Amino acid sequence: MLMEGFATAAQPIYLLYALFGVFIGTAVGVLPGIGPAMTVALLMPITYSLEPTAAMIVFAGIYYGGMYGGSTTSILLNTPGESASIVTALEGNKMAKAGRGAAALATAAIGSFVAGTIATVLLTFLAPVIVDFAINLGPVDFVALMVVAFLTIGALLGSSVLRGMASLALGLFIGLIGVDDTTAQQRYTFGFAGFTDGIDVVLVAVGLFAVGEALYVAARMRKGPIEVMGMGTSSGNSAKWMTKDDWKRSWKPWLRGTFIGFPIGTVPAGGADVSTFLSYAAERKLAKGENKKQFGRGAIEGVAGPEAANNAAAAGVLVPLLTLGIPTTATAAMMLTAFQRYQIQPGPLLMETNGALVWALIASLYIGNLMLLVLNLPLVGLWVKILQIPRPYLYAGILVFGALGAYSLNFALMDVGILLVIGVLGFFMRQYGYPVAPMVVAMILGPMFEVQLRRGLQISQNDVSALVSTPFTWVVYGALVLMFAASFFIKRAQKKMEALPVESIAEEAK
Amino acid sequence: MQATQKNLGEVLFALVFVVLGVAGVIFAGTIEVPDLEFGMGPRAFPYIVSTLLLVLGAGLVYQALRGRLGAAEDGEDIDADASTDWLTIGKLAFFVIIHIVLIEPAGWPVAAAALFIGAAWALGAKPFWRSVLIGIVLALVLQYLFGGLLGVSLPRGPLLEGVEFLNG
Amino acid sequence: MSNMEPSGGTVVLGYVPTALGEAALEAAITECRRRGSRLLVINSTRADRTVDPNYAFTDDVELLHATLGESGIEHEVRQFTSTMLASDDVIAAAEETGAELIVIGVRKRSPVGKMLMGSDSQRILLQADCNVLAVKA
Repeated sequence: MLMEGFATAAQPIYLLYALFGVFIGTAVGVLPGIGPAMTVALLMPITYSLEPTAAMIVFAGIYYGGMYGGSTTSILLNTPGESASIVTALEGNKMAKAGRGAAALATAAIGSFVAGTIATVLLTFLAPVIVDFAINLGPVDFVALMVVAFLTIGALLGSSVLRGMASLALGLFIGLIGVDDTTAQQRYTFGFAGFTDGIDVVLVAVGLFAVGEALYVAARMRKGPIEVMGMGTSSGNSAKWMTKDDWKRSWKPWLRGTFIGFPIGTVPAGGADVSTFLSYAAERKLAKGENKKQFGRGAIEGVAGPEAANNAAAAGVLVPLLTLGIPTTATAAMMLTAFQRYQIQPGPLLMETNGALVWALIASLYIGNLMLLVLNLPLVGLWVKILQIPRPYLYAGILVFGALGAYSLNFALMDVGILLVIGVLGFFMRQYGYPVAPMVVAMILGPMFEVQLRRGLQISQNDVSALVSTPFTWVVYGALVLMFAASFFIKRAQKKMEALPVESIAEEAK
Repeated sequence: MQATQKNLGEVLFALVFVVLGVAGVIFAGTIEVPDLEFGMGPRAFPYIVSTLLLVLGAGLVYQALRGRLGAAEDGEDIDADASTDWLTIGKLAFFVIIHIVLIEPAGWPVAAAALFIGAAWALGAKPFWRSVLIGIVLALVLQYLFGGLLGVSLPRGPLLEGVEFLNG
Repeated sequence: MSNMEPSGGTVVLGYVPTALGEAALEAAITECRRRGSRLLVINSTRADRTVDPNYAFTDDVELLHATLGESGIEHEVRQFTSTMLASDDVIAAAEETGAELIVIGVRKRSPVGKMLMGSDSQRILLQADCNVLAVKA
């Protein structure tokens, strides 16, 4: 099956699509304020004219490329105060400052490649097994899985549980607008013809990510310059590639990061954030002697591990998406939307009904990873150039793209108006610290959840206890409790650690 | 002064969730239920979601009143200490509305160029003619890519009436 | 400014931390020696982009000061975030000090590139009241 996928994905035209995807993905990963979720949402119009395989290959490339691009920015840009939020920046920044930026970028890129490839192998072998199992799951089992998804995404994303859950509930609410799938009754449409089909999730995603971000940046644009480090701008720092010692110190963190990141990616435990932190903590603990002392001053393990974990988690996210049809991140939600545009319903049956597409997609992940490795290091100069785009043009361009995406949905002016309203909403959410991703995921998951819930209760004839009647549901809800206990401790440790670098930055300033 | 103002904004925003929740509960009662329906019906989930919104919103209002405020989002382009520049936001929103108004009478490329030029100006682009040039080129390229090549039916508008390859 | 005795005239240098900027710096130092005037180095950014390669950071500034120190000429370095274009900052400084000469580095550009990018150096050449020395790297 995978071989057939390769046969498809290796056709020159698909290689071009993959190249386009990883290129755009890396570029948006490098640019501040733009992420892969927004890019996939903005490029949704291509689903009108490209066939599904081509579109999904582009989107998968954007998804992986975004991961690579993000690390470039966090290693090379000296943005004090913010470095705490991205683990890679902790050590990567210091390495770049010490003139070892090239080595930091290299270990990040190679680590991402190693982890991405291993994780894709895991995905290749795990997916069919999970599908075999998932095909026997009933509605109540799916209800249990989605409850886990809701609670973890709402509660673990962002810093405040209440705000995350409120964002999630808002997404559920907007998802209700329109015609009820089961009974064809209108809900919350208030007689508006434009509301009958519901509010498109693409509109919400573009509004929150693109317009909301543009408004937010407009409101509080950074006025001071940011330093690019380790590129040897004038003083001619010769870029030092990874030494033998760097390789020796990197390969174990790469592997450890992979096996920390992948499982975390598969469960909706707050996404890549948690995996990078765990990997970083593990590397710091495991380092010995001289290497241990380097932590906080540019230890290569602290870049290699988290970057690997990051990419492995990205592949892990695809497991529930492709086998269960459950998206756990905003980007995955957008990819699921793309499937729906082609009338393809992701779920346990996806591999059976659209096997060729899924395997071509997975094959293109291997290819995309290789492309990213080859592209990334030689093109670092270009990526840094991208950061020189003046912000007025950048964000004005994002607005134009957003408006295009909104208008091309139905060619209705009202959609562009709704886009603006949601953009303003997104602005306030950012302003007051509400995470926006749960809202997007909830909009996708909500209707699916309701259908399964009603189906489950119909089968049991309104007996609510049916929701916890199968062994699978016991396992899932049990795991949920454990996960929350674990995440509580992780979050506490993370907060503690994030407080550290801020102090060390303050020390330097003295 | 600054602190109480932010406080007030946050209370008001949390109240939006409460209001939505209340409205959701009220209007959930107006959803028609077919006679044949057994099981949960179309009303139950709206009730659940609206109640959830109401409860969470109330919790957030309480938190905000107690002074436990959210942390504004960070970013490479964000100055965390800057105060909100409402004027620029207003200008951007204004140009989006201009864009909406222009699409049908003037065509998508004109509307898009207007949005770009206006937004770039609002965000402080200099010199002005460069935004104009970039805006026009960008609008035409997008019209060609999406309208001409991908077949998305963007209206060309009267200005570009005869230009076939831009046809949406 | 106050610590500088205006012994002669002033030469204003529009400085960027690149090879071209270094060449312009060398030329400006030579000019100052010849004229016996002081050197005012301007390096500003509008901070309208995430990364501005024309703004000098720690390492570059150290190098700049080292070179100026060695040269032994009277000098001042002004670095700031501005709302104006870099060319306007240079011209404003030249007007303020009544400069006798502005020194800038000029890249070779294709006609198309010139049209798209505009040019700070072009603007200085056209708008300055004093002589302008355009240094080619």
